[in-house]
Amino acid sequence: MAYKSMTTRRGFLAAGAVTGLGLSLGDFFALQSAQAASNTFAAPTVRAKSVIHIYLEGGVAAQETWDPKPEAPIEYRGELGSIATKLPGVRFSELLGRTANVADKLTVIRSMTHGEAAHERGQHNMMTGYRPSPALQYPSYGSVVSHEYGPRRDLPAYISIPGQVTDYGGSGYLSTAYAPFSVGDDPANPNFSVRDLSLPKGVSDERYHRRLAALETVNREFSERAASDAVSAMDEFYQRAFELIGSVDAREAFNLKKEDDKTRDRYGRNQAGQRMLLARRLVEAGARFVTLSYGGWDHHQNITGSVRRLLPAFDQGFATLIADLDERGLLDDTLVMVSSEFGRTPKINAEAGRDHWSKVFSVVVAGGGMKRGAVIGSSGATATEPEETPVTPEDLATTVFHQLGIAAEKELIAPGDRPIEIVKGGRVRPELLA
Amino acid sequence: MKPLAYPCLLALSLSLCSAVGSADEASPTEFVDLTVYPPQVTLNHADDFQRVVAVATQADGVTIDVTDLASWRVGVEHGDAEAVRLEDGLLSAESDGVARVAVEFAGLHAEADVHAEGIAKERPISFRHDVIPVLTRAGCNSGGCHGSSRGKDGFRLSLFGFDPAGDHHRLTREQVNRRLNLALPEESLLLTKAVASVTHTGGKRFDDQSEYYAKLADWIAAGAPNDLDGAPTVTAVALYPPRAAIGAGGQSQRFIAVADYSDGTSRDVTSLAIFQSSNESSAAIDQTGKVTSDRRGETFVTARFDTHTVGSQVLVLPTDEPFEPRPEAPVNYVDEFVNAKLRTLRIHPSELCADNEFLRRATIDIAGRLPTPEEAAAFAADDSAAKRETRIDALLKDPGFAQVWGLKWAELLLVRTLPNRVEYKPMFLYSRWLTEQIDSGRPLDEMVRDLLAASGSSFDTPQVNFYQIEPDPKKIAENVAQTFCGIRLQCAQCHNHPFDRWTMDDYYAFTAFFAQIQRKAGEDYREVFLFNRGSGEAKHPVDNRNMKPKYLGGAEADVKGRDRREALAEWVTAPENPYFAPSVANRVWAHFFGVGVVEPVDDLRVSNPPSNPALFKALGERLVEYDYDLRRLVRDVTLSNAYQRSCEPNTSNQGDLHNFARAHARRLPAETLLDCLSQVTGAPEKLPNLPLGARATQIADGNAGNYFLTTFGRSKRETVCACEAKSDPTLSQALHLLNGATVAGKIDSGKQIERWLDDGKTPAEVVDAIYSTALSRPANEQERADLLAMIGDAERPVEQLRDVFWAVLNSREFAFNH
Repeated sequence: MAYKSMTTRRGFLAAGAVTGLGLSLGDFFALQSAQAASNTFAAPTVRAKSVIHIYLEGGVAAQETWDPKPEAPIEYRGELGSIATKLPGVRFSELLGRTANVADKLTVIRSMTHGEAAHERGQHNMMTGYRPSPALQYPSYGSVVSHEYGPRRDLPAYISIPGQVTDYGGSGYLSTAYAPFSVGDDPANPNFSVRDLSLPKGVSDERYHRRLAALETVNREFSERAASDAVSAMDEFYQRAFELIGSVDAREAFNLKKEDDKTRDRYGRNQAGQRMLLARRLVEAGARFVTLSYGGWDHHQNITGSVRRLLPAFDQGFATLIADLDERGLLDDTLVMVSSEFGRTPKINAEAGRDHWSKVFSVVVAGGGMKRGAVIGSSGATATEPEETPVTPEDLATTVFHQLGIAAEKELIAPGDRPIEIVKGGRVRPELLA
Repeated sequence: MKPLAYPCLLALSLSLCSAVGSADEASPTEFVDLTVYPPQVTLNHADDFQRVVAVATQADGVTIDVTDLASWRVGVEHGDAEAVRLEDGLLSAESDGVARVAVEFAGLHAEADVHAEGIAKERPISFRHDVIPVLTRAGCNSGGCHGSSRGKDGFRLSLFGFDPAGDHHRLTREQVNRRLNLALPEESLLLTKAVASVTHTGGKRFDDQSEYYAKLADWIAAGAPNDLDGAPTVTAVALYPPRAAIGAGGQSQRFIAVADYSDGTSRDVTSLAIFQSSNESSAAIDQTGKVTSDRRGETFVTARFDTHTVGSQVLVLPTDEPFEPRPEAPVNYVDEFVNAKLRTLRIHPSELCADNEFLRRATIDIAGRLPTPEEAAAFAADDSAAKRETRIDALLKDPGFAQVWGLKWAELLLVRTLPNRVEYKPMFLYSRWLTEQIDSGRPLDEMVRDLLAASGSSFDTPQVNFYQIEPDPKKIAENVAQTFCGIRLQCAQCHNHPFDRWTMDDYYAFTAFFAQIQRKAGEDYREVFLFNRGSGEAKHPVDNRNMKPKYLGGAEADVKGRDRREALAEWVTAPENPYFAPSVANRVWAHFFGVGVVEPVDDLRVSNPPSNPALFKALGERLVEYDYDLRRLVRDVTLSNAYQRSCEPNTSNQGDLHNFARAHARRLPAETLLDCLSQVTGAPEKLPNLPLGARATQIADGNAGNYFLTTFGRSKRETVCACEAKSDPTLSQALHLLNGATVAGKIDSGKQIERWLDDGKTPAEVVDAIYSTALSRPANEQERADLLAMIGDAERPVEQLRDVFWAVLNSREFAFNH
């Protein structure tokens, strides 16, 4: 099958290489997707066309961000104050002043809960929707999306800023073909550029095309002689690279200089702001799933000082991202999610920090068919346990995939022909949906 | 004769009719054998029964299920004349006796003995043998349903029934009277849910007229007894027929599963076993045990019952085309086994590859580099018949050989630094120890014995770092099983392995070998002492009992007064160990063919058997015979025609991957790809902690590397899985080769083009030089013409030739070994 299809692929490799024309997906991937589903399921309607996943690595404290406890004693409440938001009766940390003004566009889940209080285990939970297993590493949200949908408008389906987010942001048991494309540089860097995306210095368009013509010549004989799936798969990625390099729109999506200074300032000229701005540009241009990380939130000591240092930039960037997406009419189609591996202990510890706490913490979602302006669940008076409406990582993943038009019960094939559901044991949580 | 009565009415191949019609002539479709299964039947109680099948084999190896076509006769030899009956392919007994079942087909004859004993008594219903199998067969205790670790909808069962006592407790004692209604069995939720007469998330599992329903209802009616203490255990399960070779496109074969019990009885468990096919596109198996063929190929069908999984090979052969094997003299045993399998599958192997292809392939595989232009010229000029053999012998002495295998073992042994656990110094010493073992050609069994039994300082006895890199006894046990035996035990940590023989008992008994390791910090913060504490046990998590150390698939170990790891090391490396030598040999094979005889190479299990069992066995035996000398085994493998075949397919072997009928293009591993790029461009690489020009295969630390190596899938050495080193393509790889600094940078800094021009080569000669150094072949006419036209007629076209070089290094032909 792959052997027969070579002629066509070679044909369009030539076309793509020389003219930079965008072409449809290759047989390799069509074949993989066709084989992938081993069970029956009904694909839900697509509500979200893309996702921006903001990951706060280390375990951000809900008490210092989305779920302050102003009524609790100081050892629970911490040193930070709280402020009112646009949602009546809902308060955020005093450091989330700008975000408070877009609270009417957010859904704050204050009752996320799981049982994994070690970083890597919690990260696996929150990046994949699966509890970690000794036998198998599961694919991240983004890799599943990449596997299910493939690239759009010449952009990689799954992009990570600046690099793969945590050890579990990769393709897990799926082929590395579905791993995130890492931009490989920090957008906050004044000379930010994506690794290997643009032609090297000294290579004109003319020279580039000469090289490609030569490459086409060299590849010709071999593709005939040694046809194989492995060779075709590599052809496919060269093809995607040509499309990306050849598409001005796709390439420019990575170019932050195309944003005017006002916008860049509005997001904040820092890691949080510029990463979120780049994420917006990418989904606007066609990327399906963009994951970005910001800060290190493992505050076992001096949590007040650390949060004061990190949170304001997040506040500015995030409030701007939500407002900007909404102004551009993108928020309805773009699901934004802010998550972390877990939350932090109800009580401040002896070193003025908080330790790991996975029993209850907060996750924020917005857009993509999620409720506009809602608080789901509660963590009680002291953020110790979910008081109502507990939401599990499986539920969250199932709901996010549902919005993307992906049925969580669909089975993907892990090595050893083992069928594995995209998410197991979760349900779509109507509380979250508009 | 019965078949004449149904000329071709049934879904049988035409070949059957022609065979019957021309029985006198020697033809490939003539029937040469008839066998009845099971070969022996015992019937042990009033309701006992046994299915029988008859299989006829043609001269060409094709088998046909003739159960419905043959004539059957039961002759009672002892006891009442009506003692044993055969109805609809089902044997049962009225009273005790001995009978012979005779079957006739196409002039062939076969028999099976039937012993009926104890027929007068009713067998009491059993929780372990009736209820648990029904729950398993109906899928109730599968991972997606109540077998999930958290149960489903408030009801939990142990996965595939690994904890029958717990299951009995949950059924009978949790929510008393809800799941079981002893007064009105049919009102029990267990039954009403299963037949979906009340809402059930899992839907209807079976009918209220089925034998499954009857079994569960009988058990509840009997008071839901617990027979777990006295119940006999299943000692073996057999799947019949053991092998089938059926025609493609809708032919079928019935399989039957028979369980043997510790009390000497046996039982037809066909309706209770779970059947699976490893390759549904060739043949599928339904839950009655019937295999139906589709496209040509082969599959392994398995039956799982109790903790046993057994399998039979099913070949699906094309029956429409005549097959005449082409004569070819085998080079050695490798070819004999490979060719025998290909003949059975009616596949013609590809021709042997050309000399230049062989030279490039073997040099990359054996020495981890490209042939030099001098080697290529000398090889081309050599016209002796044994030149490939001579070349292999030379390559086996190349320093690259030890680097290639040193790297492979470093990946498997997870050689890397770990914060606060393994500092650079002990890691480096460990890596050097490993390279020395391979370099010196130390027998692998000695090396592994030394490693597994090691005690002492992580500086002076660096192999103890094996236990320092992974300190958890459970993980150590898993790693030892996977690395040295090719067995994945992981599943059995939490439940009995669903597709293999390993139980939780096996898992924790194997873990017990590593339960007595003690560690002590040295004076130097980087040093650790590791020794035998002589105490400490592995506990079974279900009932917390201490597990005695027991070898996988073997006996309990005698570890009195000695380090348990010593006993283990001896067992692992003993020539009788059926896992160690074949699995190491299989890794060697996979290095040269891209796929193992067992694939994945570290997942040898009942349901994933070798594609060529005879070859698998022979490779292991040779390794033992060669005193575990890697080089001698590599020599056998690379000398074979099987290794030296062309990538070019023919119509019969186009789809073949696992039977080695042709070569397959394999992407170079990350390290080799970078080394080859450095070699052809003359631009050495500076790698972390290594002198300029050292090879990427020499990097000691799994945590060191660079962008290129990471991007191209270098193993991170975090798990022992052979899949850690990846060769899947990614967008970043393509972008890096196209626009990144490695290819273009090395071409510029290596100045190879300039050197060739300075040597007085014409542009056409430079093009040829590029081709021969990078691809080990000259450019063909068309390529040369096209490239020269592009280069134009500049005096010294350095830039243009660099672009040709760039194109060659970006080509698939360069990145792949073929």
